Order: sequence, then structure tokens, then C-alpha cells
Amino acid sequence: MTKSLPTPAGFAAAAGAGVVLTVLLDMALLAPAALAIGVVAAFAVAVLFVGSSTADADSGIHRAVVAPVALVLAVLVGLFTGLVADLWLIEPVAYAIGALVGGTASAALYRGLATQLALAFAAVAAAGALALGITALVLYVTGVDPLSTFARMTDYGTQPNSLVTVVNTGTTYYLSAVAVAVGFRMNLFNIGVDGQYRLAALLAAAVGGAFVLPPGLHQLVIILVAVAVGGFWAGIAGWLKVTRGVSEVISTIMLNAIATGVTAYLLNTNRLAVEIGTNNIGTRPIAESGWVPGIPGGFMGAGREIFGLTLLAVAVGVGYWWLLNRTRFGFELRATGQSATAAQASGVNVKKMVVVSMVISGMVAGLVGMPQLLGASHYYALDFPVGLGFTGIAIALLGRNHPVGIAAAALFWSFLNQSSQILDIDGIPKEIAVVTQATMVLTIVVVYELVHRWGRRYQQRQVGRELGRERVAAS
Amino acid sequence: MSGTDTASGAAPPAVELRGITKRFPGVVANHDINITVGAGTVHAIVGENGAGKSTLMKTLYGMHQPDEGSIAVNGGTVRLNSPSDAIKHGIGMVHQHFMLADNLTVLENVVLGAEGLHGIGSRARARIEELSAQYGLGVRPRRLMEELGVGDRQRVEILKVLYRGARIVILDEPTAVLVPQEVDELFDNLRELKREGLTVIFISHKLDEVLSVADEITVIRRGTTVATADPARTTARELATLMVGGQLPVPELRESTVTDRMVLQIQDLTVAAPDGRPVVDGVSLSIRAGEIVGIAGVEGNGQSELIEAVMGMRPVARGRILLAGEPVTGWSTRAVREAGVGYIPEDRHRHGLLLESPLWENRVLGHQTQPPNAKGPLIDRAGARADTERIVAEFDVRTPGIDVQADALSGGNQQKLIVGREMSNDPKVIVAAHPTRGVDVGAQAAIWDQLRAARAKGLAVLLVSADLDELIGMSDTLHVILRGRLVAEADPGAVTPEQLGSAMTGAGLDPADTSADDSGPATEDEAGA
Repeated sequence: MTKSLPTPAGFAAAAGAGVVLTVLLDMALLAPAALAIGVVAAFAVAVLFVGSSTADADSGIHRAVVAPVALVLAVLVGLFTGLVADLWLIEPVAYAIGALVGGTASAALYRGLATQLALAFAAVAAAGALALGITALVLYVTGVDPLSTFARMTDYGTQPNSLVTVVNTGTTYYLSAVAVAVGFRMNLFNIGVDGQYRLAALLAAAVGGAFVLPPGLHQLVIILVAVAVGGFWAGIAGWLKVTRGVSEVISTIMLNAIATGVTAYLLNTNRLAVEIGTNNIGTRPIAESGWVPGIPGGFMGAGREIFGLTLLAVAVGVGYWWLLNRTRFGFELRATGQSATAAQASGVNVKKMVVVSMVISGMVAGLVGMPQLLGASHYYALDFPVGLGFTGIAIALLGRNHPVGIAAAALFWSFLNQSSQILDIDGIPKEIAVVTQATMVLTIVVVYELVHRWGRRYQQRQVGRELGRERVAAS
Repeated sequence: MSGTDTASGAAPPAVELRGITKRFPGVVANHDINITVGAGTVHAIVGENGAGKSTLMKTLYGMHQPDEGSIAVNGGTVRLNSPSDAIKHGIGMVHQHFMLADNLTVLENVVLGAEGLHGIGSRARARIEELSAQYGLGVRPRRLMEELGVGDRQRVEILKVLYRGARIVILDEPTAVLVPQEVDELFDNLRELKREGLTVIFISHKLDEVLSVADEITVIRRGTTVATADPARTTARELATLMVGGQLPVPELRESTVTDRMVLQIQDLTVAAPDGRPVVDGVSLSIRAGEIVGIAGVEGNGQSELIEAVMGMRPVARGRILLAGEPVTGWSTRAVREAGVGYIPEDRHRHGLLLESPLWENRVLGHQTQPPNAKGPLIDRAGARADTERIVAEFDVRTPGIDVQADALSGGNQQKLIVGREMSNDPKVIVAAHPTRGVDVGAQAAIWDQLRAARAKGLAVLLVSADLDELIGMSDTLHVILRGRLVAEADPGAVTPEQLGSAMTGAGLDPADTSADDSGPATEDEAGA
């Protein structure tokens, strides 16, 4: 690829071309269309003047995979920015900003996107398409028109109130998936997130309902109780594994059953529960000093509120990333997950790591019920959401244990759940969303593994090629 | 062993490999291999570690397909897509590492997976006894596998192959796990197989053994066949030159740098196996600054356990370990490492590397608590990366960058990275287990250079190796370990590999006994400590 401009100038040229074209086309076309064309133009500028900095820039696979993936991603980034900015600003300005971001992204992506990562994105898109295809087939076979069904779902799912629900459910999914992912990175399979969060939410709700504390302190105490209970419950499984050699898969499943029993025992009017409405019992409601206010959804035209603890989920995601990638503890955790023998020879106390990471997983699991408890229901009752722990496993798999990947997967999962609610009205079974989710998990897990193996081989080939070139140059 | 009645003219060759090429990313695989194995012969394939012998045998056994070239068995071209295809064509393989279930009987192990041939009952037993008698294997089908020694296990593996109808038997490094007497027994078995008309393909890098048993020898170097030799008309020296294609790097030390400052002292160290039996039994040795102490022994005599005990990876049952006068017995691996012990592990893939992590993270591994890799509880990425660049440059690790995954590098470069890592962080002691196992000649010479440099800098080095030339050439002091005990101390300046070899099997070390060609049977098992 030619590279005739210095990199910053190339970036500026690409972004500038995108903005100018978008603004001009905006007069003739719909804003999103103008923006898409603008970003494509910016991408062309980037290809011509910025070039790619990756080692394999001139290989066929790079041209075939990286360029289209970078283009699609840049357009998506631009469109998303434009849509969000459009909520506050007037349309021409919003989409000009979108074009600016999209144009810069196209230059940056084309320059830096590694082949393997591009292929992973392509693979996810392919898996998504496959899952949708299978869902469409199922719909078609059962005599429902797939296209109109999808249109109905998209239409309903993108309404402002639906979007708020998507974010709220996605928040709990996210926490649950991060809890599972902490274990996965250690090669531990914490199936017990479900029991951990339910027990934690029950006890935290009971403690929160029993006292009135000053605002701030009240929420903190409730959350700390939840974290402690979750960590303790998961820690049992970790302790059993290192002292008795019990597989954590077995022990966490059993602890789920025990948690169910303990919850049922405690949630009784003779013990922690009081009557709440008709046919429902729950813990004593938490006083208002212990609530976490929601974020009003008015800015996106919604009447509902986004859970305030969504910000906590974001913080957990950032903390998870920071812990794993920046700290010694995270390094040892990843090393143990990759090779316990190598970790041991490197001075890692593997048994301690098992217990500690299990406890951390449980502590995050303890948070799963908090957005719902402190943001909406304010008590733990018979109708408290269940099964979030198992959803978390699927989402952690989909998101490949990466904090950003998990966020995307959680929102997608939650979007499917929410958008399928409309189908009941049309007499279409809403379980169709489950078909999509399940095929998505299956195909993505398989596809990731294929891409991963291919990536390893690809890198080995690259290294061989590069060293061969060196040798020729040296001789 | 020039058999006079080996097939020469009429019968087609048992195996004929023509132009076999197998490409693997980044490593030497096979390139234009041509081998003809006569029916009813023992054909040896020799080459140094990493020359591509095992790759070739996996091709012949159908474990992977060649990219180019053809395989003919008994004159007909075949395509082997899986080991079961190979078995159908009468090719069987005895792997270097036995694939036997300890808690089953010999009979059960043999019929496992071949139940369809003769059932699992008396018919199968009769067949096993018949084969055992026919080939003089002495295998008794009712014995429990865990009661059998290494030699017996190998015979069971051979019998498994014969039971499945193999007429061509591949043995991958069969003598690596055997002591000399067992090697002799194995060779008797091989001659028996040949007498019964079977073809044996024998892979090894031990030239003396090859010369004594083979009818024909093919030498492989850097993935390709370089020569075919007649054992009657060649010498070990000539074969060695063919194997490495030029001058071998020589392990040797120059003037002594040994000081009188004790750095590592091991006193009466005993390590127990899970069943309570001592695997390291009352070992005492000391290493001074600037000294390399070698441990010679047949694998499985306690060397690995000794090293793991020193590294804090195994509990010590009795005894003391002192590092620069300070007791470190029972310390955790991390504490031992932080105190200044570098560790080059025996199995770099299991203990030395995170294969799917970039090189700079592998630089951090094992030193994750020390600068330049860490700042308090945080990983110092910039420091670790800069130091990895230094190691790559200083230790000549051939890589395009420090962000490639460790498993993209060849074995020699992986090992150079490990050596470089362990030499960093100012160690006092280097514990090196088989530091040049499975690496190419260039990397071997570089690693020896680094060990010499460490010694010159005043480090104490504990060296365990199966390569006797390496041990004799690189050690200032040499101990022999047998069944967990140090049974002899040899002078590396005077001892020969033959003498060392016999001491390793318990025959004792007698410096007076210097008859050149006598590596014969051990006379007396005197395990004097």
C-alpha cells in the first residue's frame, strides 16, 4: 500500500473528507445514508494515504479480511455516534460529528487492526447471520413470515422504553457474566453464580430492611453484605476443591441447590419475610435511604429510568479489565488458567489462587441482584428474578471473557429478550428468541475456537516467513 | 550384524518413502525424504533432536499426511489417513512414552481397542501366549501392568502391535527409558522379530546402539535424508558428523573459576513419593560460586525430584537446603526464586512457558514480583517489555517481535528466551535441567556459552542432563545419582561417557577400568553411597 502522507496528516485527510462529504450529501439524502457514504470515502482516503502498519499488510488474507471488516466497523461506529449525538444536537451537526468519528475510526482501524482480530469480528458476524438464518428457518417452517417478525421485533426493541429495559436487564446479565468470566480465566467453572446471587440478594435485602442508615452508608452496607455473602458461598466451593479435591463444577451445582433450600427456609413469615401484597411474601422493604436513584430516561425519550447501579456494572467491568491486565494478581490468575504447572514452577501458589479467584467470582456474583434490589423492587420476594447465573455462563462464552465483549453480548441477549415480548401479542411464541440465543452461543463457541486455532497457526507461519526473510537479507 | 540371509533381490521393499515433504509453521519438518526399508531387516533412522525423525514416523503411521511425496508398502502405493489405515497395511508403532493402563492386566491392555480380533477371553489369551512364545517376548497375560518393569512394559507394547497384525514395527526412541541390560534384551527381541521375517524401523540418536543392531542406517539432518550407511563400514564418529553436518559444538570449560564461597548446600536431603518411599534419599552436595555441579543418572532416579525440592515445588521429608548460608528448606517456590535461584525447567512447555502468551509476558513469568516486571502490586508493562527487548537482543532469540506468542518460536529460541529470563534478575544459583534437550545445534552452543558466562560471573550452577557429553564437558564436579542416592563422584576431566554410563546403572565407577570397548554387562550391583 502506498503511504505518501505522514500519519497525522493522513488521519486528518480521512476525517476531513468524511465530514465534508457527509455535510454536502446531507442536503440531498437522509442523514444516515450521507454519513455512511462519507465514512466510506474517508476509508478510501485512509487506504490510499495512511496505509496499514501491521506486519502482514501486503498478504492476501489481510486485504481480504481486514479492509472490509475495518470499513464495516468504521461505518457502524460513525452511525452509532451520529445516532447518539442526534439525541441532543440538531441533525446536521450530530451527523457531522458522526462522520468525524467514523472517518478517524476508519483510518485508525485500517492502520492498526490485526488480521486475527478482524477475522474474529468477521466470525462473530458470520455466526450472528447463521443464528438469524436458523431462526428464520424455524419461523418459516412453523408457518410464520420471518421478515415481518424480525421487523416487528426490531421496531419494538428499539423503542425508547424498550431500550431502557434492555440496558437494565443487560446490567444484571453483565455482572453475572463477569462473575463467571473471572472463573473461566482461571479454568474454573463457577456454575454456582445463580445460588450465590440469590442468597446474597436475600440476606442483603434482609439486612437493608432491618435498619435505617444515612443515605450512602445504607447502600454501602447492603452492597457489602451481598458481596460478602456471594464471596463466602463461592469460597466454599474453592475451599472444597483445594482441600478435598472436589470438582468446582459439582460443588457449585450442589451449592445452588442448597442455596435454594436455604432461601426457601429463610423466606418465611416466621423468619425473614413479611407479607407483601396478596400471595407474595418478601423481606421487609428497604427504607428510601437505601435506594439507589435511577437515571431518568428522558434524554432518549423514555419514561422509565435506567438503574443507577448500571454505573457500578461499568466500574466492575473496568475493574475486571484492570485487575486481569495490569496487576500482578491478574497476571498470576491468567498464568494459572493457561498452565497450572508453569504457574506453579513460577512461584504461584495455585491452591491459594483457586480459593481467591473463586471468592472474587462469588463477590461479583453477589452484586448481580443489587441493581434490581436497590433500583426497583427494594425487597427480596418470591418474584425476584432467578436463573441469571446460568444466563451469565452463556454471555461469558459469547463475550469471550473480555469485558467489552461481555458488554456487547449482554446487551444483545437482553435486546433479544425484550424485543421478543411483542411476539406474544401477535400469537408467535416468543421462545423464538431462545432459539436465536442458543444457536448464537453454539456457533460462536465453535467459530471462536476455529479462529483461535487458525490464528495460532497463522502467527507461526508469519514468524517463520519473517525470519526466513531476515536470513535471506543477511546472506 | 550383517545378516547374510536378509532379503535383497526379489522381494519388494517393506516400506519405500519417496520425496516426502511435510511443512509445519516455523519449524523444520521434513523435506524430500527418501528411504527404502528392505523387508525382514532392522532399519535405523538416526538424527539429532529436532531433525524431523518423529515427524517422519508420524507420517508413516498415518498420524498426519505428507504435503508431497508417496509411501509404498510392500511395493504398492498407499494413502495413510489415520493410524488404523496404517495398521491395516501392517504398520505398527511403539511410542516412546508407553500407552498402557496400570490398573489393567497385560491381557486387557493388549486387547483394549482390538476386541474384535480374538475377543477378550481365552482365545485372546491363547493368541498372546502364542505370539509371546513365537517372538521370545516372555509376556505373561495375567500379570497386572503396575507390577511390570520398564523393559517388560516395552515388550507388552511390542506385543500389542504384533497382536494387531503388524509386519512392520516402528520403535520411536525405544532405548531412552532403558538401562543398558534392558537395551540388550530389547535388541535380542528385535533380532527375534527379524528372524521371524518382520521389518523393524528403529529411531534413535544413540549411535553405538544403532551400530550394534541395525542392518542399514539412514541419517536425517534438518528434515531431510542426507545419507544411508552400512553399519559394518561406518563409525560412530562418521555418523555423528553426518548428523550435524559439520563440526559439533563441543561442551567444554576453560580454566577453573571455582571459588571457596559456598552458595548452595544440600544436606542429607530426602524427598518422599506419595506412597512414602524415598525418591531422593539422603543427598548431600554443595556448589560454590563459579562452579557447575553436574548430576548424571538414568532418567527416573530422583533427579527431577531433587530439583523440584530445591525449587520448593516438592515437600522435603528430611534434610536442609542452604542458600548462601541461609536455610531455605520448605520455602515456597516464589521465596526461593526471589532469593536468587533461576530455574531452567526440564519440560519447557509444561513448566517454563505460557505458550499462548506473548514473549514479554513470558519474560514476566517466574519473576512477576521483581523489577523490572512489577511495581508494587502492579505489572510494569513498559519495564517488562523493554527488558524483553534486551533479552531478545542479548541472547539472540530469533523472533520478529516481543508480541508474538511463545509457541510461534522454535524450541531453541524458546529455550534461549527462558535462559535469558533466568539469567536476569541477578541470580545467585541457576538450576538447569536438560537445558539443551530438543534444541538445534546453534541454540545448544549458545546455551552452553551462557552457562559458561554465568559460571564466570560467579554463579553456582546445578546441571542435570541426560546428555553425558554435556555433563562431562560442562561440569566442574560430577555426581552420579541412582535410585535417589548419590552413589559416586566423578572427575569430569578424567571420566569417559562409558564409565559414567556404567556407574549410572550401579556398576560402580572404577577409574582404573579404562578398557575402551568395554561397556558390557554390569558385574555387581554395588550401590555404595
